[in-house]
Amino acid sequence: MSEGSASGVPHLPGMEVRPVERNVYEVQIGPSHPGSGHMRIIVELDGDVMVRVDPDIGFVHRTMEKLAEGRDWIKNIPLFERMAILDACNITLPYVEAVEKLLDIEPPERAKYLRALLCEINRIASHLYGIGIFAVFLGHSTIYMWAFGDREVFVQLAEDLTGARLTHSYPVFGGVRRDIPDDFPQNARKAVRYMRYRLDEYAKIYLNNPNIRKRLEDVGVISKTKAAELGIVGPNARASGIKYDVRLVEPYEAYPELDFEIPVFEEGDSLARAWQRVEEIKQSLNIIEQAVDWLEKHPREGFMHDKFWKTAPKLYKDVYEGNIPYAGKYRVKLMPLFATLKVPPGKAAARVEAGRGEIFYYVESDGKDVPYRVRVVTPSFRNVIAFKYVMPGHRLMDLPTIYGSFDYFPPEWDR
Amino acid sequence: MGGGVREVPATAEELQKSLLEALKDYKPQVEPVKGYIDIVVPVEHLVEAAVKLKELGFDHVISVGAVDYIAKKQFKVMYHVTSYLNEDLSKFMVSLSTYISRDNPHCPSLTRVWLSAELQERETYEMFGITFDGHPDLRLLLLTPVVAALKPLRKDFVVKEESDNIETDYEAFESSKWW
Amino acid sequence: MDMVTAAKVFSDIGWGLFHYIIFYPPVYQFIIIPGLVAALAVVVFMIWFERKAAARVQMRYGPLEISPRTGGAPQLIADLIRYTVQELIIPSAADFFAFIVAPNAMLILSLLPMVAVPMTSISEYWPIPMGYSLLVAVALSTLAPIFTVVMAWASNNKFSVLGGVRESFIVVAYELIAVISLLSVVPLLHTFNLVDIVNYQMSGIWLGLLNPIALLDLFIAILMSTSGFPFEIPDSETELVAGPFTEYSGLIYGINMGGGYIRRWAFSVLMTLVFLGGWAPYRPGPGILLGYFVPSLIVVVKATIVMAIMSFLRAVYGRYRLDQALSLAWEVLIPLAFAAFGISVAEAFFGVHP
Repeated sequence: MSEGSASGVPHLPGMEVRPVERNVYEVQIGPSHPGSGHMRIIVELDGDVMVRVDPDIGFVHRTMEKLAEGRDWIKNIPLFERMAILDACNITLPYVEAVEKLLDIEPPERAKYLRALLCEINRIASHLYGIGIFAVFLGHSTIYMWAFGDREVFVQLAEDLTGARLTHSYPVFGGVRRDIPDDFPQNARKAVRYMRYRLDEYAKIYLNNPNIRKRLEDVGVISKTKAAELGIVGPNARASGIKYDVRLVEPYEAYPELDFEIPVFEEGDSLARAWQRVEEIKQSLNIIEQAVDWLEKHPREGFMHDKFWKTAPKLYKDVYEGNIPYAGKYRVKLMPLFATLKVPPGKAAARVEAGRGEIFYYVESDGKDVPYRVRVVTPSFRNVIAFKYVMPGHRLMDLPTIYGSFDYFPPEWDR
Repeated sequence: MGGGVREVPATAEELQKSLLEALKDYKPQVEPVKGYIDIVVPVEHLVEAAVKLKELGFDHVISVGAVDYIAKKQFKVMYHVTSYLNEDLSKFMVSLSTYISRDNPHCPSLTRVWLSAELQERETYEMFGITFDGHPDLRLLLLTPVVAALKPLRKDFVVKEESDNIETDYEAFESSKWW
Repeated sequence: MDMVTAAKVFSDIGWGLFHYIIFYPPVYQFIIIPGLVAALAVVVFMIWFERKAAARVQMRYGPLEISPRTGGAPQLIADLIRYTVQELIIPSAADFFAFIVAPNAMLILSLLPMVAVPMTSISEYWPIPMGYSLLVAVALSTLAPIFTVVMAWASNNKFSVLGGVRESFIVVAYELIAVISLLSVVPLLHTFNLVDIVNYQMSGIWLGLLNPIALLDLFIAILMSTSGFPFEIPDSETELVAGPFTEYSGLIYGINMGGGYIRRWAFSVLMTLVFLGGWAPYRPGPGILLGYFVPSLIVVVKATIVMAIMSFLRAVYGRYRLDQALSLAWEVLIPLAFAAFGISVAEAFFGVHP
């Protein structure tokens, strides 16, 4: 903080004054800018080349860590989901896993497959969102419309499964909230076939378009050691050659039994990051097919751990069987035991591969019905440091290319 | 990447043993936690322990967090680290923690060891008021100066809630109207 | 006696109105066709077409709210009315006179080449003597871009200045390409006279077929000059809010946005006359309607088709980076323009004739 180092400038409360070099043109790509989202980037330009980039974040900070200390355990699930609602299952899953470690229960196998299914649907929706926003920063509005239109297919699938389009709150302690409807497998297979066909179209008009390739190639190159030093996560790290995916190194839920690959690219530039997301969508489609096959074959029991299911009133079990004509089959309400849950004291940590990277929760409990401390580190927050170290040296028109290729999402990094 | 750990650790217990062995100069202690390995070192040896961990292969920081134990008048600062480039170690999360006093919280900054800790130390600084000595660019990240002065994530900062009966001062409002 | 005099007076006034005001060539060409009225009508149609065509590619409908049965065609009229009654906000830090004058000057100067081109081969309907009309038209078309830079500087806004600087770089690049491409037909035909150029193309072989490189170069130069995709660099929305047009609101914002299209229209008319045959294969008959009105309509239709192709590229391309666009212009297109000139000279040498 340099209060008083610049003379002659009035210092108002809250104002930060720092001397700027000469011959440097300072531009603030600020919060109310059509291409910036909820953040401000302070760019110092020398001609057309960026000399220093300073991300000024915090415009959507919603104090989730402090709020979590005042709410019951189950109420924190919708709270944390609001960090990135388009990726809702992935964002809340590590919290649920950490609390399950403290409670010392493990969800039944059907619940694990259901969670993995929704995780992959959300991952595809999140990647399509990222592809769309990236394209519109480059001026290519066609892919923006196509990506958001195709994302609608998967949001509809999630609505069939959980009842809500974006804010699912689907994983709960001990299992999931509901089971799949009867016509879900065929809808899922139709969606998978449709998306595979659409990905070819994307490659034709966007990824193999010479205009876009010229814009993306060799821009924002992050080498493997630099990526490991900066701590970049997710598809950005995998596009720089680091073969790291939490689903592989520390498998959770149903992933030990599912068969999939992790695409890794070596170049580390923006084009590799764009291709990485498209390849990951293809792998997620494979996982959805396998999960849906398993769920269809196996009997419908065990979407929730017995410790909670046996306390449910008889009405819930009737609704689940389909005996109540006006209530949908398999749609049960929230277990009443959650409202007064007291978690035994302890500390636990869990991590999960979200759409944008690895998300990490640290949960500490001291025996009460509210958490003592929840520390959450989102993947976009760990990518912010790349703004400061990767961008200098590029031209100003590469700024949206680079931060679009990181799949930035300010509400996620501000929490 | 240095010598790595002596033998490839297959489980968390083996890794814990080899880490305690490697860090034995710095008086480490282990706390019982679930899902990761927690090693507590005193504040004086924090930087050296971090350098030793980096030599063993842990090359980036996942999270820098602090917990406010107001009853014991201590902050616990935790650095969760893991490895990208060393495939055997990337399965495990190790937390390098330390306890610092609550009245004058200072902690040496590990930015020179792990660059990925830079922004997260800034966030911990503004939320708890812990000054990280040696940080190259310690300033506010998410909050405005007015709010950061209250040090929000400390336990003695209680979020003031509004009741349903909000008292309003009608005379003051009426007299302040100029139309 | 009185009725005959009254009828004669009215018919005289009508004839005078027709011949000396409406169809008086400089007035007709600057204001009606291909000037202001035709330009505005085509621009209104073209913006609607662009939005509809791009929307169909993008799996959506485009403008549909205003009158669904005609596909939302009056949408542009509604937008124009909105711009007309919107409040005009002029920042206090901006240079008032330059701020207001620059867009209007740009509009007028963009339409100025239309006075120098012929719309027919009958000599009494030429606005200016046609001896060097190609040269005059090309020279007049280079007057407008300076006012974009004036606009950017007068706005007193960092983003506008960045946009203005980009525009100045691009103007320097594309001017040479456009001028050389348009003038590359001259060695072949030994004339600057646009009427002769069109008459040479009456035989059915258009100059675009004889010299396709010049046609391509001119097409790309038009895209560069009027912020068409993939060269929409000065007002790229996601980096510099709207480039030089950031601080404008109300009617002058409408003029700015339409002014780009009007400039594109002027270039399209030039391109039609030189490369796409003008009013060929129609031979203008005698009289005002057959000799002046109909050939000008044919030119309008052909230029509209050229503009429609340019609008369609919006759905396919992203933006180029500034230095990539400039290196494309200086390293690829200018040698190609010189090559087109050389092809013209070679064709003249070998006696290839349209």
